Amino acid sequence: MNQVKKSPAETADRSYGAFSRINGQHPFKDSVPNGRVEYKARYKKGGKVSFFNFDLAKEMGLLPKNHPETLNPDLEKEILRAFSIVIINEYDLINEIKFPEDEIYPNTFMATRYLQLQHPDKSGRTSGDGRTIWNGTIRHNGMSWDVSSCGTGGTKLSPACNINKKFYQTGDPSISYGCGLSEVGEGLETLFFSEVLRKNGFRTERVLAIVEYDKGISINVRANPNLIRPSHFFGHLKQGNLETLKQVADYFIKRQCENKAWEQTTFKSDKEKYQYLAKQVAKSFAETAAKFEDEYIFCWLDWDGDNILMDGGIIDYGSIRQFGLFHAEYRYDDVQRYSTSILEQRQKARYIVQCFAQIADFLTTKKKKSLSQFRKDVNVDYFDKHFIHCKNRNLLQRIGIKKNHQDYLLKEHLQLVTKFRKVFSYFERSKSKRGIYKVADGINRDAIFCMRDILRELPQIYLTRGSELNPQEFLEVIKSSYAKKSDLRLTFLRVKQIQRFQSLYMSMVRALEKHAGVSRSQFLLELTMRSSIVNRYDRVTGDSITYIVQKVMRMRPKLTADELYLLAEEFSSYQNLDPDQKAEPSEVPERHRNIMKGFTSIVRECREGI
Amino acid sequence: MKLVLFSGGLEKDNQSLDRSFIELLPKKNPVVTFIPSSSYLSEQEFKAFVRHYSRFKISRFIHFPVDVPFDRIIFQEVMRSDVIHLAGGNTFYFLNSLRKAKLLLELRKYAEKGGILTGLSAGAILMTENIDMAAYPEFDRDENVVNLKNLASLNLVNFAFFPHFKNSARYDAVFRKYSRTKKKLIYACPDGAGIVVHGDEIRFVGPCYGFAGGQKFTVN
Repeated sequence: MNQVKKSPAETADRSYGAFSRINGQHPFKDSVPNGRVEYKARYKKGGKVSFFNFDLAKEMGLLPKNHPETLNPDLEKEILRAFSIVIINEYDLINEIKFPEDEIYPNTFMATRYLQLQHPDKSGRTSGDGRTIWNGTIRHNGMSWDVSSCGTGGTKLSPACNINKKFYQTGDPSISYGCGLSEVGEGLETLFFSEVLRKNGFRTERVLAIVEYDKGISINVRANPNLIRPSHFFGHLKQGNLETLKQVADYFIKRQCENKAWEQTTFKSDKEKYQYLAKQVAKSFAETAAKFEDEYIFCWLDWDGDNILMDGGIIDYGSIRQFGLFHAEYRYDDVQRYSTSILEQRQKARYIVQCFAQIADFLTTKKKKSLSQFRKDVNVDYFDKHFIHCKNRNLLQRIGIKKNHQDYLLKEHLQLVTKFRKVFSYFERSKSKRGIYKVADGINRDAIFCMRDILRELPQIYLTRGSELNPQEFLEVIKSSYAKKSDLRLTFLRVKQIQRFQSLYMSMVRALEKHAGVSRSQFLLELTMRSSIVNRYDRVTGDSITYIVQKVMRMRPKLTADELYLLAEEFSSYQNLDPDQKAEPSEVPERHRNIMKGFTSIVRECREGI
Repeated sequence: MKLVLFSGGLEKDNQSLDRSFIELLPKKNPVVTFIPSSSYLSEQEFKAFVRHYSRFKISRFIHFPVDVPFDRIIFQEVMRSDVIHLAGGNTFYFLNSLRKAKLLLELRKYAEKGGILTGLSAGAILMTENIDMAAYPEFDRDENVVNLKNLASLNLVNFAFFPHFKNSARYDAVFRKYSRTKKKLIYACPDGAGIVVHGDEIRFVGPCYGFAGGQKFTVN
């Protein structure tokens, strides 16, 4: 395999030279020597590119801006050269398995160490990237990007290795998760979900490429400006390893400053620097936890912090779901235990912030104090306040109120907004009398009201009718398909809450029409238009993504990488619920229109589910 | 009955037809319901529609997609509105959605009771007896994406309507041939033109061509 024997820079097609910069080298290796394990790697034959993200590749500087969004043989060759990789792991070395020299890459690739709950050790000494290696980093337009690949072979940091105390050959069929491989379905699920969430303002990993092999096996390549997770810190914190913890923190801070991800980039002292780190974590996690709660995102946040990036971005879509309604009691059944619920995410996020308060103090004083001492830390307090602020702002956004009007209400009518949020929560959190029951992958208790429906319809009904809805009508609009007759009784409390909901809603409308100097109908019309986008009838849920991916998998023998890229683009644009977006009609081939119709009917079918 | 059939085209092309529509309105600031042919990205179409008719000092609009479930309350408001506009798009999909939602009869009743019904392109074809015209001519037709067999529609007028007509030999040949086999008179309008039906009176706004018995004639 000659293309690997020479260094990538020597063999790369000149127009795709940027790919050769992704070659295993990464500043984390030198900055945090005890934070990674290095592996030699070899070219994995038999791969084909089944997806490539042209938009992301251009943003990262891998492709010129004017590159056509089609895969050509040279480009495919470059992608395979860069990403079709399998590590030479401990099993291979112990068993002295020989690989042709010309298939082995000159540089090593790292798997990083981080804390993971599943490991018996529970202190991060043995855990980390179990089937992922970091391909490297690339800098373009003042932004550094991390690139890592999942499915590149089993490392010694995988749970299987440590639970069973043996090394596994990559692809060993006797174990599933620990075999070091990943599947096309996982890559597609991440692709569709992450592109939709990114368009809707979530920070997230993105799929750069999917390289496919026989039997649905794949290497899924991800990219993000900074792939460090809280768990990269927590292992060393638990071990009381000040030196490595400091290295991770300094490495992370340096990258954030280089990428201008933070407002402040210079610090007078270590204390200021590490406190700023803790404050940024508090800010990001308050925003993320509030957004997860308000957009019904279920992300299994836990104290090991391995399912989330340091800026609150989503990584690893394996356990991510978006609910159609506020199914606050859904829990995923992970055999040994149930997951956190959507409402517990806030506490878990708060706990992560508390850990960073402890980290900041440890790094400054060089003494590790008990975590409980940081329960009332200034950063934890800031988290609580910022979380509430974000909840208020998110609610105004969901109503359809413009940013400058949100600012006005939050500044001048905070009490009104807070009161409305409380009555809004009353309906959002109302649950079915059916109680908790088993669902396919866990347990749930159904939410009975669809807040998106009432927020979409209320302004246009007020606009046309000029009066409020009576309680019966209100329930008719807000009820979800999960609500049974017994759930919809008009109790004294419920009637009061319906009146309160409408009266507070109209108070905010009155305050804003006065502030903006427009008539009520003008203001309600604007709300109608914005809210119809924000609260579109069909929004994706976790189930809908699963079914869409199944549909794509069935179509894929006939679906080219270029078509898959266009479909993912089209689908995420259709699911973009930003009322300020400037949507441009795109010319879509008839075949794609039909596929998209299939996707939309799946989304509609699953709109209230999990 | 008050109907306005828009062929299509840009806003500026439809100024005369818009004026005719505004003259039909029973009151200042009426309630106008916008029914898109498909809910897919229809919010953007709705925005453009609102922006356009806001110029005529109309500010009360309802966005009412019919290919997704809707509740009784919003439906009642739609039926109480002064104008219902059927937007353009795929005629087969639109008719299928209206039928599935059991709205064909409701819309017919609405028009018969004096509600103003307007339609653009596909929306205008829907006001006729059937949507045969959506399948013509072969080189410029809607695809029957829902494999619809029953093409019967609102049947509010006694003519067929062809939008986006181009006054050319190619189109003439197709419609001459078609009109030889059908009893219904076909009115074909280019973009910017249309037909206003007010009671028994039919008024043509902009150029309009008729086809009947294999002959073409200029109506307006």
